[in-house]
Amino acid sequence: MNPFQFTRVTTPKAAISAVTKEKGTYFLAGGTNLIDLMKREVVIPERLVDINKLPLATIEKTVTGLRIGATAKNSAVADNELVKKYFPLLSQALNAGASAQLRNMATVGGNMMQRTRCAYFYDNSMPCNKRSPVQTGGAAGSTERFRADKGQANGPTGCGAIGGFNRMHAIFGASEKCIAVHPSDMCIALVALDATVNVSGPKGDRKIPFGEFHRLPGDKPQQDNTLQPGELIMSVDLPTNRFSDNSHYLKVRDRASYAFALVSVGVALDMKGNTIRDVRLAMGGVAHKPWRLTKAEDFLRGKPATEANFKQAAALAMQGAKGYGENDFKLTLAPNSIIDALKTATKTA
Amino acid sequence: MTKDTKNPPIDRVDGRLKVTGGANYFADFEIPNTAYCVIVGSKIAKGTIASLDTKKAQNAPGVLGVFTHQNMPPIPGWDAPVGGEADGPAPKPKTEETYRILSSSKILFDGQPIAIVVADTYERATYAASLVKATYSKQTARTDLQKHVAEGIAPKGADGGNYLRGKPDAYQAAPVTLEANYTIPIEVHNPMELHGILAHWTGPNTLMIYAKTQGVNATQQAMAEAFKIAPKNIHVHAEFMGGGFGMGLRTWPQETAVVAIARKIGRPLKLVVNRSQMFTLVGHRPYTVQTINMGADQDGKLIGIAHAATAETASYEDFTEATVNMTKFMYACPNVSTRYRIVRLDRSVPIWMRGPGEATGAFALESAMDEMAHKLKLDPIEFRLRNYTETDPEHNRPYSSKNLKEAYQRGAEAIGWSKRKNEPGSTREGDWLIGYGMSTGTFNAFRWEASARVLLKADGSLTVQSAVTDIGPGTGTALTMIAHNVLNVPLNRIKVEYGDTSLPKAPTQGGSAIVSAVGSAVFDACTSIKQALIELATKNGGPLVGRQADELTLADGILSILTEPKKKVAVSDLMQANNLAVIDRTKESKGGPQLQNYSMYSFSVHFVQVRVNPLTGVVRVTKAVSVADSGRIVSPKTAASQMIGGVAGGIGMALTEEAVIDHRFGRFVNNNLADYHVAVHADVPAIETIMIDKPDPIINPMGAKGMGEIALIGFAGAVANAVFNATGQRIRDLPITPDKVMQKLT
Amino acid sequence: MADNERKGNGFDNDNSPRRIFLKKSSALAAWALTPTVAMTVVDNGLHEKVALAVEQMPLWLTINGKAQQLSIEPRVTLLDLLREQLHLTGTKKGCDHGQCGACTVHVDGQRVNSCLTLAMTTEGCTVTTIEGLADGGPTGTLHPMQEAFIKQDGFQCGYCTPGQIMSAVACIREGHANTPEEVREYMSGNICRCGAYANIVDAIMDVKKGGAKV
Repeated sequence: MNPFQFTRVTTPKAAISAVTKEKGTYFLAGGTNLIDLMKREVVIPERLVDINKLPLATIEKTVTGLRIGATAKNSAVADNELVKKYFPLLSQALNAGASAQLRNMATVGGNMMQRTRCAYFYDNSMPCNKRSPVQTGGAAGSTERFRADKGQANGPTGCGAIGGFNRMHAIFGASEKCIAVHPSDMCIALVALDATVNVSGPKGDRKIPFGEFHRLPGDKPQQDNTLQPGELIMSVDLPTNRFSDNSHYLKVRDRASYAFALVSVGVALDMKGNTIRDVRLAMGGVAHKPWRLTKAEDFLRGKPATEANFKQAAALAMQGAKGYGENDFKLTLAPNSIIDALKTATKTA
Repeated sequence: MTKDTKNPPIDRVDGRLKVTGGANYFADFEIPNTAYCVIVGSKIAKGTIASLDTKKAQNAPGVLGVFTHQNMPPIPGWDAPVGGEADGPAPKPKTEETYRILSSSKILFDGQPIAIVVADTYERATYAASLVKATYSKQTARTDLQKHVAEGIAPKGADGGNYLRGKPDAYQAAPVTLEANYTIPIEVHNPMELHGILAHWTGPNTLMIYAKTQGVNATQQAMAEAFKIAPKNIHVHAEFMGGGFGMGLRTWPQETAVVAIARKIGRPLKLVVNRSQMFTLVGHRPYTVQTINMGADQDGKLIGIAHAATAETASYEDFTEATVNMTKFMYACPNVSTRYRIVRLDRSVPIWMRGPGEATGAFALESAMDEMAHKLKLDPIEFRLRNYTETDPEHNRPYSSKNLKEAYQRGAEAIGWSKRKNEPGSTREGDWLIGYGMSTGTFNAFRWEASARVLLKADGSLTVQSAVTDIGPGTGTALTMIAHNVLNVPLNRIKVEYGDTSLPKAPTQGGSAIVSAVGSAVFDACTSIKQALIELATKNGGPLVGRQADELTLADGILSILTEPKKKVAVSDLMQANNLAVIDRTKESKGGPQLQNYSMYSFSVHFVQVRVNPLTGVVRVTKAVSVADSGRIVSPKTAASQMIGGVAGGIGMALTEEAVIDHRFGRFVNNNLADYHVAVHADVPAIETIMIDKPDPIINPMGAKGMGEIALIGFAGAVANAVFNATGQRIRDLPITPDKVMQKLT
Repeated sequence: MADNERKGNGFDNDNSPRRIFLKKSSALAAWALTPTVAMTVVDNGLHEKVALAVEQMPLWLTINGKAQQLSIEPRVTLLDLLREQLHLTGTKKGCDHGQCGACTVHVDGQRVNSCLTLAMTTEGCTVTTIEGLADGGPTGTLHPMQEAFIKQDGFQCGYCTPGQIMSAVACIREGHANTPEEVREYMSGNICRCGAYANIVDAIMDVKKGGAKV
C-alpha cells in the first residue's frame, strides 16, 4: 500500500471540507472495499478522511418512513427491528451480502459507493476503462477517483471483459466501454423500495432518488454514480409501504453464501388475496446499476399471482437484454429467477 | 500384535495450542531484526522482460535490496541458468526449458517472480514492490489445454502412459456401450495459511528455517543441495502447517531464493506470499480432460473399459499423476486399457492436490459407472456389486484387505438409499428436485520407511519423537494413541514432539501414508521398550524372574502377571533398581518383502442427497455419508474429521471450485478467495462418517491404512450422480455451477 | 483512557495529528507533509529514522485489556499491527482481502476482518484477539467456545481456528446461533479449507445450548 495521509473528522462539514481540499482525497468509512482496492493498487490515495466517527449512524422513524444514517453498519441495519418489521426486503438483501464480519464493518453509504468486482478492474495489468479511463484527471473528491497517480500508470485502457471472462457481467444497459455490474445486494432492495439519498456537499444539501444515484457506464465508466465532487452521503430515506408480508430477496450464486450474485432479484408485493395490488421488482448482477423492472411491475399490478403472469412479467423484464458470451446464461437465469422470487414472495411456490 | 479392539476417540493432543492461538506457524516465529520479502510477479505468461526499472523501489524508504535476474545472488547447487545472461556451464539442451527463479529475463508463466524486494517492514516492502516496473516483449502464451489436447506427450516412465489388459477395443462390441468426456478445471489447494518461509543464517554455513512444508527432512535436503552445505547444518522447523493438501510436498524456488538473499543481506528474512500468488507459485490440480469408453453385457457385467486422460503441465517440468490408475483395478473387467498424456503449456507447474490424480480419475470412472448403470436400468450399487472383485485384476494378487461390500451396505442404509428412485427426476419436495448419488474411492495404502524415537522416563512419562509434520490430520494424536496401545502409559503422560529436523527422520506428510509409516516406527520403538521392561523384570534377580513375556501385562506403569494380578512391579521401581533414568529407543521401520504379495488399498464410499432448483439450477448437498474402509482406525475422532474434511473439499470440487484463465492474457481472473469458491459453512451439511474399522492384517502392526485421500476421492462423482438422479441431466465438466444445471433444465 | 490524554488527537483539525506529533521532533518540522517527502528524505541520504517519523502517527487503543500507546504508519492494518509489531500472532493472515475470516478479531465487541481495518480507525477502541478471549496459556481456563472446539474437534490444521472461534463467540452474542442452518449462514465468512465445518457447527450449538456466558 502506498503511504498516505490520514485525517479524522467528527462533523460532516469538516469531512466535506477535508475531501475538497486536495486531489486524491477519499472518504474512508468501513473500508471493506477501499482498503481492498488500495492493497491492489487500483486506488492510490494521497489522503484518507476517516468518517467513521461522524454522527451519522442512527436509524430512526420519520414522518414518511425510516431514515438510515450513512455510517450505520450493514449489520446494524439488517438486524434493526424496524427494518426487519417494515422493510424485510432490505434486511434480507443485506444479509445476503458479504459475511457477518464485513457487514459489521461496511456502512450504508460505503455499500452504495462500492466498486464493481470485475476481474479486469481489479487487475491493473489488464485493460479496464473504469480503472484507467482514457482521460485521466478529475477534481479532488470527485467520483473519478481512480485516476492515475502522479503519472504512475494505473494499467491499460479498454474493456477486458468484452470478449473475455464475462460470466458475472451485465446483460442490461452496458456500453462498449464497460459491461461491469454493480455488486451490491443492499442497493437492489433500496431501489426497489423507492429510497431517497440525502447528500451534503460544498454547494449544499440535495436529495437523489435512489434510481438516479447509480448510473450506466456509457462513455464514462469511471463514474459509478451521480455524486458531485466533495459530496458526502448523509442518509437514506425509505418511504412507508405495505410490502412487509410479501418480500423476498433471491440471490443466485456459485456457492451458498459469501459470493457475489450471478443474478439476484428483490421482490416486494402488496397482496390482496391472490391479487397483486402493488409490486416492486429489481435485479442485481445484471447491470452497472441496481436494475429496476418497471415494465414487469406495471404488468403485474392488479393481476392475480399466477405462474403464467410471472412468466409474462419476466419476459417483459428481459426486453433489451443482451449477452456477451459467457454470461448468455443470464438471459435465461434472470427470467427464471424473477419467476422463482415471485413465487416465493407470493407464497405460491 | 494387532490390537483387536477399537480405539476410543480422544481429543487432539495439540488442541489447546490451536484454540488459544498458541500454535506457531512459520510466519509466527519472531527473530530479531527480521526483514520482509515481497515477490513481484510477471504480468505476462510468455516472453521476455524488455526492461526492468527498480530504481524507485530501491530508493523507497526502508528498502534493503531489490533482487532481479540481474543481481540475484548465486545458488551454488543449481545448474546454470538457461537462456539468460549468466556465464558458467552450458545450458541444458534447448528442447527442454528450465525454470530457475530470477535467473533469466525469460518468462515461462504468468506470475513468475521478476523481482524480490526486501525492506525493513512489511508495509514498506509491499509498497516498494509496487514501484518495480517492467516492460515485456510478449509472445503468444499457450495456456488453454482444450486447444492443445492433441499435443499430449507420453510421460517418461515404465509404461509410457499406456496400460492394457485383454483387448483394447473390447468395449466396442459390447451390447451396451458408453462414451463420455469429462473435464476437471484447474483447482488450487488454497490452504488457509499463505505460503512462505522464514530464513535465518545463524552462521556462515548454518541455517535455521521455519518453513511451510509437508516434510522438514525434504526441505532440509533441498536446501543442502541448493547451498552445498551439510544437511546437519540446516535446521528446519515446521511443527504446525496451516494446511497443505499437497502444495507443501516440494521446496519451491522462491523459498530457495529467499534463503540466498538472506545470506546476501545478512538478516533474517520472512516471505509470506499473497493469496493471488498462491495460484501461480505453489502448484495446482491440473486441468484434465478424460474420455471413458465402457461396454457391458445386458446382465451388467463389464466387458471393457478404455480410459484416456490428458492433463496440463508446465513447459519446464513434466508433472504426472495417477489419474487413470483406479480404472485398472477397481472392477472385475477382463479388458481394460488406459492412456495418460501430458501437454506442456505456458503455465506454472502443477502439484498433487488432495486425492491427487485419483480424485480426477474417480470422477470420470464413477460418473461413467453411474451412466452405465442407468443405461442398464440397474441400481448403481447393484451394478458395482456385479463387477466386484476380491482380487486385484491389475496385478493378479489379493488385496491386503477389502471390505467394500460392507461399506456399500452401511453407507446405503445411512443415507436412506431405499428412498432413491432409479428413474431420474422423479422425486420432488415443493419446487425442488431431490436426488441421491454414490461413488467409490480408492487410494494406495503405503508402507514407507520412517524412524521414531521413544523415551520412557522413570517417572512414567513417555516422549515420542519424529521429524514428521502434522499438516492437520492429527498425526500427533494418532502417534499418541499408538504409543498408548503398546505401553499403556496414560494418555496425559505421553508427549509427542514432531515437525523438526532435530528429531528422527520421517517421510514427507502426504499420500495418506504417515500413520502407517511413522506409526509403525513408534510401534516398534514402544515394543522394544516393552521388551526391555519385560527382560528387566524376568531376568535373574528380577522381580518376576522366570516368567515368559506372554504372561505379562503392562498398564498404567505396572508390569504384572496376567493371571496373578498381585504379582507385579512398578515400571519406575524396575527402572530405578536397574539405575535407569530413561529407556530410549530409536527404531527405523519399513515393511517386509511379504508386502509385495498383496495389493494394498484404502477404499471409501460416498453417498449424497442433493436438492436442485429447476429454475435457478442451484444445487445443494443436503446429506452426506462417507464410509471409510481403511483398516484399523487409530484415532477415531481425528479420522472422522479427515472424512468430513474430504466431504467439504469434495463439495467444493463438485460444485464450486474452478480457477479461470483468460487465455488472451494467460492470466487468472479469479485468483482470490472471493471469486475462487472454496466451500463455505453454508455449503456443507451435517455429515455422517462410518468407519469399517477392521484391521488390515498385512500392512503394518497397527493394521491401519491411510484415509486423507479417500476422504475426497470419488466424492465429486457422487454429487454429479445425485444431480443426474435428481434431474436426469448429466454434467460432465466440473464444477456443477447453477448456470450449467439451469441451462440443461430450461 | 482519560479525556485529557485524548486532546490533540486531531479531531476536526485536518493535519493536526501529524503536526502535533511532528512538533516533538524539531528536526522534522521543516518538511511538508506529503508522502513523497519520505522518499526524498532517503534520496537525500538523510537518516532512515527521519523517514520513519514522517510517516508515523500516534494511536491509542486497548488490546486484550491492555491500554496501548503506539506510533504507526496510517497504512498499517490492524492485522499487521497485531502480528508484526505487537507479536500477537494468534490472529492469522489468510487472504489479506476480507475473503476468508482467518483474521477475525473483535473491535468494541463486534467481529471484524482485521486485514481490512486500518489500525488508525480503531483509535480509542477495545480490541480482543484470540489471546485475550480467556486466560489461555498452557494451563489457564479456556473460554467455553475453545473447550467446545476441542471436544467437537472443530479444527484440523488449526490455522483458521482463532478466526473461527472469535467469529463463533460473536455469532452467539449477536443472537445468530439459534439453529445449525443459521450458524452455517452466519459463519460463512470463516473459511476452513480442512473442512471442519460440521464439527464447528456442533461446537457452536453445544455452547449455545449449554447456556454458558460467552
